[in-house]
Order: sequence, then C-alpha cells, then structure tokens
Amino acid sequence: MSVLNLEIITAEKVLVNEEVDMVEAKGSLGEFGILPGHVQFLTLLEIGEVRYVKDGKTSYLATSGGFGEVADDKVTFLLDTAEFAQDIDLERAKIAMEEAQERLKEFEMDTAEYRMHELALFRALARLQVASRKL
Amino acid sequence: MATLRDIKRKISSINSTQTITRTMKMVSASKLRRAQEELDRIKAYAIKMEELVGRVAQTLPANAHPLLVEREEVKNVLILSIASDKGLCGAFNVNIGLQAENFIAQQKGQYERVGVYVFGRKAKDYLQRRKVDIVKDWVDIRKVDQAIVDGITSDLIRYFVEGEFDKIYLSYTHFHSAVKQIGVFEEFLPLKPKLDQEGTEYLYEPGRSAIVESLIPKYLSTKIYYALVESQTSEHAARMAAMENATSNCGEMVRYLTLVYNKRRQEGITNEMMDIVGGAEALRGT
Repeated sequence: MSVLNLEIITAEKVLVNEEVDMVEAKGSLGEFGILPGHVQFLTLLEIGEVRYVKDGKTSYLATSGGFGEVADDKVTFLLDTAEFAQDIDLERAKIAMEEAQERLKEFEMDTAEYRMHELALFRALARLQVASRKL
Repeated sequence: MATLRDIKRKISSINSTQTITRTMKMVSASKLRRAQEELDRIKAYAIKMEELVGRVAQTLPANAHPLLVEREEVKNVLILSIASDKGLCGAFNVNIGLQAENFIAQQKGQYERVGVYVFGRKAKDYLQRRKVDIVKDWVDIRKVDQAIVDGITSDLIRYFVEGEFDKIYLSYTHFHSAVKQIGVFEEFLPLKPKLDQEGTEYLYEPGRSAIVESLIPKYLSTKIYYALVESQTSEHAARMAAMENATSNCGEMVRYLTLVYNKRRQEGITNEMMDIVGGAEALRGT
C-alpha cells in the first residue's frame, strides 16, 4: 500500500518527517483530507488543527496557518507555528483566550486591532481544541 | 630607552589583554554554537520555502505579482546592508560597508539615487562617515525576532511597490563554516526565484493569485530572517577568529618582550660586573 511522505516544518524546527497514511487539515476553503494519490495541490492553511494518521494512530497539532503542498504523495506543510497536542500548555491557552476575548470588546469591528485580537482568539481556541484531544 | 621596569609593566599589561581576548574567544565560541543551532533550525524551512516558490514561479506569468515585475527604467536603487552592532570581529563589518561603498562608487553615475538600508550600528557608522545616503537604520538589536523581520520586510515592500526604489540589493555575510564566511551581494527585489527545477501545475485553493499574494511576502521575510541569522552566525565566527588571532599575537609579543627583558637584564649585570672588576683593578694598582 502506498503511503504519504509527510513533512511539517516551522521556522523553529522540523516537527514531523515520516510516512503516514492520511493527513487532514483546515484550508482556506474548509477542511480537507489527503490520501495517497492526491492531485497536486497547493493551499493556504488556516488557524486550526492538523491531523495525521499513522498505523491507525492519530496525532494532532495546532497551527497558526501557513502553506500546504501536495505533490507525488509528498505532503509538505510550511507553518508559521505549530505545536503537538501534548506540548500545548492548557493554562496558557486558556489565559490567552480570555485575554483576547476581553481585548475584543475594546475595539470596533473591522478595525485592524479588532482583526488582530480576533486572530489571537482563533489561535487560542485552536490550541484549546487540539489540547483537548490528548485526553 | 625603556628601562627594565617599563618592559616588565608592558609584559604584564599584554598578559592581561591576552586573558581578555582569550575569554572573548570562548564567549564567541559558545555564542557561535547557539547561533549555528538556530541557523540549522531555520534552514530547513528556508530551503523548502525557496523550492516551493521556485516551483510555483515556473508556471507564473511575469506580471503575476507587483514584486516580480522588473522596472524598465531603474532610477533609484536601495541596498539592504546587514552587519552587526559590535566590533572586534575582524573585517566583518568593514566588508559589508565596503560592498555598499564600492557599489555606490562604481554605479553612482547610472542612477539618480543609491540609498542604503542598514542593519547594525558598526556598518551604519562606517557608511555615515562616508556620507552615504542612509534611508533607515536598525541599531542596538539584541535578538533577531519575527517582529524585526516583519518590520524590515514591510518597509522594503513598501519602498518597492510605491516606486521609491526600483531595485533592491541584499548585502550580508554568508556563513560557510566556522573558519570561512563569504560576503554576498545579490539582487533582492524584483524577485527572481531560481528557475532551475521543474514547475508543477497545482490545483490552487483558494486560487493562484490569493496564494501568490501571501506566499511572496512570506518568502521575502523568510529570506531576510535567514540572512539575519546567517549574518549573526558569521559575526560570532568572525569574532572568534579575530580573538584567536589576538590571543596568539599577544603570546608572540610576550615572548619577544621577555627576550628583550632578559637581554637587558643580562646587559645590566655584565655592566655592573665590569664596573666592579674595573674598580678592583684600580684599587690594586695603588
């Protein structure tokens, strides 16, 4: 059976470089899944969750977005930041979420600051969601 | 003439200088190791980014993005010079300064304005003394981080897109190895991705222009980040080499001065003995 060669790379380090059976992530047009034999594909990844399955075991990562490329069963994710579920500091993510929610109330909708804090909130939510997966 | 005491003082002063340079060398060595680790970490990302942009650019029309378009008339040129805040690292800063200076000296006639966007206090001082047109400077940077990189990237993109500058060069020091660093002077904007690999026709989601729109600034900032980290690594390596040299020069000087000191001392003793012998000889005669 053919497999996917998955690489997940951030500016900090290479997080994943292994053969997996399936990858799922959130692109700008919604969630998508990649199986071997996928068409050549380039997408913007959104803030959210990245999952991959290897030997029936699923691993979860939270990301703040980046680029996803698929070519010839090679999947390359170039991400701004990414964390494995087990590495996420739940307390910190909660604090970040509450802070972002507080700050959001201070600004008008559709201003740059509002957008900035909204993104911070999304990132915190994504991390919380992913962190809850390890339970 | 230097007396014995003068020479002795000189020797001890050189000895303490040597202690300092030796310590600085060891500090640079440990900083170099850390910088090299950071360089290795970001390297994988930078290389993949370069490859990806190369593959995408293969299939792009030349005017797909404003940052890819070559200007017909190049009037104003900018040089992004990356050096460091601190000295005592050999010719590291001067080399970067010279690259900009030479370029300006050679090409001045062709362009209306050649500006320099400089990173690092030493390079800035160097260029300022030579009356170079400094557009903006970044000094006293403790640690290269994403915020600084984003600041520089957005400045450069703005200069280029708004037409203030028609061409931007990048000048930094490439870290080849701990003993070899190479000054690099290359074109930065308009962007010319390496076209030495096969292009790939992708299914783009949401769409090609949207992806190119965010891929290209990201690529630029990755490139700048990488150049900054490389320059930093080179700086530590250059300082380590400079301090290594200084330490061994100190040793050589101490050896030479000790020789002079001993000779002088011997001379003194001989003279004294001759005095005594002469005196004794004179006494015997009476």
